[in-house]
Amino acid sequence: MATVQTDQVTLTVNGQSVTVPKGTLILDAAKKVGIDIPIFCSHPKMAPVAVCRMCLVEVEKMPKLQPACAVYVAEGMVVKTTTEQVNKYQKGVLEFLLINHPLDCPICDKGGECPLQDQTYQYGPGASRYQFDKAHFDKSVPLSDKIVLDRERCILCWRCTRFSEEISGERELALIQRGVHTIIGTFNDEPAQSAYQGNWTEICPVGALTSRQYRFISRPWDLDRTPSVCPGCSMGCNIQIDARNNKIGRFQSRENVAVDDSWLCDFGRYSFPNFQRQSQERPRIRRGGRLEDVSYDEAIAFTVDGLKRAGGQAAGWASPADTNEELLLFRRLFRDVLRSPHLDHRSATVVDAEPGDMTLSIADIERLEHVVLLGGQEVIDAAPVLHLRLFKSQRKGVTVLKVGAGQVAEAVAGVSPDCTAVGILATEANKAAAVDLQTKLQRKIKGSVRRLIVTTGPNGRGAKDLGILPHLGPGYVALNGQAGTGRTEWPGAGLRALYVHESSPLHGFTPTDAESMWLPTVPLLVFHRFKPSPLDEMAHVILPGHAFTEKDGTVTNMEGRVQRIRKGIDAAWVREDWLVFQEIANQLGASWSYESVGQITSDLVRGLPPYMAVNQEARVLWSERP
Amino acid sequence: MGIKPLLTKDFATENLKQLAVYEKTGGYTGFKKALEMQPDALVDLVKASGLRGRGGAGFPTGNKWSFLPKGMYPRYLVCNADESEPGCFKDRYLMENSPHQVLEGILIASYAIGCNLAFIYIRGEYLPQTEALEAAIDEARQAGYLGKNVLGKGYDLDVILHRGAGAYICGEETAMLTSLEGYRGEPRLKPPFPAVKGLYGKPTVVNNVETVCNLPHIVLNGADWFKAIGTPTGSGTRLWCMSGHVNRPGNYEMENGTPIRELIEEHGGGVWKNRKLKAFQPGGASMMVLLPEHLDVGLDFDAIAKAGSLAGAGAMVVMDETTCMVDAARRYVKFFEHESCGKCTPCREGTYWMANIFDRFEGGEAKVGDIDLLLDIGYNIDGRSFCPLGDASTWFPRSVIKFFRDEFQEHISEKGCPFKKSVQEAVA
Ligand SMILES: Cc1cc2nc3c(=O)[nH]c(=O)nc-3n(C[C@H](O)[C@H](O)[C@H](O)COP(=O)(O)O)c2cc1C
Ligand code: SF4
Ligand code: SF4
Ligand code: SF4
Ligand code: FES
Repeated sequence: MATVQTDQVTLTVNGQSVTVPKGTLILDAAKKVGIDIPIFCSHPKMAPVAVCRMCLVEVEKMPKLQPACAVYVAEGMVVKTTTEQVNKYQKGVLEFLLINHPLDCPICDKGGECPLQDQTYQYGPGASRYQFDKAHFDKSVPLSDKIVLDRERCILCWRCTRFSEEISGERELALIQRGVHTIIGTFNDEPAQSAYQGNWTEICPVGALTSRQYRFISRPWDLDRTPSVCPGCSMGCNIQIDARNNKIGRFQSRENVAVDDSWLCDFGRYSFPNFQRQSQERPRIRRGGRLEDVSYDEAIAFTVDGLKRAGGQAAGWASPADTNEELLLFRRLFRDVLRSPHLDHRSATVVDAEPGDMTLSIADIERLEHVVLLGGQEVIDAAPVLHLRLFKSQRKGVTVLKVGAGQVAEAVAGVSPDCTAVGILATEANKAAAVDLQTKLQRKIKGSVRRLIVTTGPNGRGAKDLGILPHLGPGYVALNGQAGTGRTEWPGAGLRALYVHESSPLHGFTPTDAESMWLPTVPLLVFHRFKPSPLDEMAHVILPGHAFTEKDGTVTNMEGRVQRIRKGIDAAWVREDWLVFQEIANQLGASWSYESVGQITSDLVRGLPPYMAVNQEARVLWSERP
Repeated sequence: MGIKPLLTKDFATENLKQLAVYEKTGGYTGFKKALEMQPDALVDLVKASGLRGRGGAGFPTGNKWSFLPKGMYPRYLVCNADESEPGCFKDRYLMENSPHQVLEGILIASYAIGCNLAFIYIRGEYLPQTEALEAAIDEARQAGYLGKNVLGKGYDLDVILHRGAGAYICGEETAMLTSLEGYRGEPRLKPPFPAVKGLYGKPTVVNNVETVCNLPHIVLNGADWFKAIGTPTGSGTRLWCMSGHVNRPGNYEMENGTPIRELIEEHGGGVWKNRKLKAFQPGGASMMVLLPEHLDVGLDFDAIAKAGSLAGAGAMVVMDETTCMVDAARRYVKFFEHESCGKCTPCREGTYWMANIFDRFEGGEAKVGDIDLLLDIGYNIDGRSFCPLGDASTWFPRSVIKFFRDEFQEHISEKGCPFKKSVQEAVA
């Protein structure tokens, strides 16, 4: 009789039948039917180590309790997770974990969101039978300028060391000594160098690894948590803004397997102090050389007056950290209302942007055979979490070739002709070389060659998609004959006004030398921004705006994924930036009547159908032409 | 039954360490004969001999060899010479007296499993034994037993001798492989088993020193000859490392199945100072205590297991009537606490806690509940630890509580050790 070959396995957990693919861990099979097995060392992104022994369960026909985090399911397996034996042992292992644990919960950052605390309540013994002095260890060890380690709280779950080995590949953290004396540390106590240390604090199931920035700042239950996107770079890692009393306490990761795979880089994570508001400033206008506080209405009237005079000679610069909704209105203000083509969001001139710059998605890097990092470390520095995706890909067998931006020939030579899928990663500055490499590789190999250009800022891609460029309209359509000048051409272009809109000090308008000479000569400089900068000194109007962390809207990451950002901090006295645009436009003769950001988003999608992607927070597919 | 020198038969020969002398006693003829055989036939021969591993677990050696996945190369053999179990000193005795016999065994095993690079992981403190093996390896290489094209038969083999750095856990086979690769000595998750994914991720066999020393004799004399020695499930002999309160401590090679009584009373000359036997511990620090009533149990894996202990690595620690069993258990527990690698919670924390409680017994501060607390801690460690070290840390103390609970109670009621005085006398 023929047997039916199947890759599915059926087992029972606490009497409930569950069918899962072969190679599933008992832990995950149980989760599928809503049965939680307590864990400490197990982590979904790391190989099982089964060291904490918290997850032991009964498996029929096996004499010993089995670690659910490390044992794979088998056909007909009978798993029991709540037997007397299991419950008793769970109490036992928690009692073991606590005998040398300081239990300084009242002063521990983790208290309130601590798996050790939570599981002790849920599964642990009410009291300890341990009556000896606890083993003592160093309590505030500076692992780096970012992280402090409390060795007494460490339960040696190996998550941080495994992150260092399996996720970031840096092998910076190690276990030192043995037995009850085992500690976590770096080689020779040298400061940790990793650019991903903040992740250690999130995966640590106790308060052993803490961020200096967040130490003693808040209790978890006092935090307001807002899902958003990291303002750090064009990767678009998902974050949660944790604020207390309307002040940001920290950025935490929020898993998006397609983007960040649940990690953040330290640059992005620890960038939040840039978004702390210092004071409640009011709009200002320059009168007689001095800036004076005025109302929004007055400042807007002043601005309208100047823009009216400039007309088609007004230029607009919107930061690559603005939302798509802001950018849409900004573009329409300039192109439709003022009839000015002089729009930009860039700092330096780059070659044409086009949908071909994002035919490769971040997650697809794992499925390539070969990936060329054109520009090497420079690419990683521009979007640090990319390194983690690349390392993961490498572990899966993808060849990662790092070459200098000028080494196109070497990169071509490094890929064999029978390669089936190649990816190219480069920054905007090296786009020309990336295109060159792509053309050459396409000629050489039989498989596909795709590229992903790392853009600048959390919404640099959106700015391109929406046409915040002097020569392209929304959707990369050429502005035949109607192209304007770009930022680098502005000095000397005879412009009569410049409107700078800036939502993030990380991606602000930093004048070049030429611009510094030119700016004081511009008849009207409107600076609509979140944070004071040297540009204030030259501005005729300062319009306080919201920070990236203070508004709702959508942003598009380097690969074209449209994601929502949300107001994590409220600054109610600051007028919504889009509302300011609308008022200016209307005073200039338009008749916009948006009442919410959502309405703008809908309009955006109507005008640019590929942006339907926003509904799924998916990638915008521009018909995928290479 | 009785004394049966097989591995040790030529140990009285002067300069046996030297290749020429070893060859004169018939050395390397087993290997030469093996080289004439098909490797698979060798595996079958060892399977048929019933040889079981002498490292502790008693796993059938031939079976272990046959678990190597077909067609996967390279394969490695690692000879376990870490011998760190308190009470065990047989591998050391074998290595220092006849290093070539160890080497010959390694050669046969390597050839049988198709390995071209073998390792010996030797306990770091075993310096003279290291030197003896080093000299033997050099001699063997010069004589063509090692290197390219061994004895002109087209087989290549080299041996690397690696010294441990002083961790008991590195005797556990997966920790040994991890240590050999240069990492912290810690056991690995199984599966995959070393046979499939061992040293450097390659199929690997780990065999104890005494195990491989049997191989030349089995090859020379055949499986039936070997099977005829010992018991039906325990062919051959074993070296028993007798120590403690016995008149003639030392290594004794006994036919398997010989009653323990004969070993202790006849060959060991009985309990010293005309004292009475209180207890004895076969196997090593890990194993459960046995009582005089078990003296007629045979020296054999299965028989000792049936009696409630384990033959382990062939130790035989004799304890006379003056022994404080609480103190004996305390010492062992402290050993495990010291040697716990710290990887898993029950062993790391549990051994530390047990050690604290034992100190409290010793210091006269133990409380009535402490005995049951020890048992309960033991229950929470045993079978829950990552590797057998943690499990085994509880076996001796729990067996001692089972048989000598009154001694624990006396420590509590007398606020200290009732044997202290007699122990001091004994030492004096
Ligand atoms: C904690 C621990 C320590 C061990 N120490 C040794 C040792 O020192 N020597 C040894 O041969 N086997 C030791 N073993 C057993 C080995 O893991 C392994 O089973 C053995 O070396 C296999 O060889 P065999 O099949 O020839 O017995 C130890 C096991 C454990 C769990
Ligand atoms: S520091 Fe935290 S993550 Fe690292 S081993 Fe200790 S408990 Fe685990
Ligand atoms: S890679 Fe970019 S988006 Fe991601 S956390 Fe870092 S700065 Fe933020
Ligand atoms: S039982 Fe656990 S802590 Fe003890 S030696 Fe084994 S792995 Fe290490
Ligand atoms: S979660 Fe399974 S052993 Fe730690």
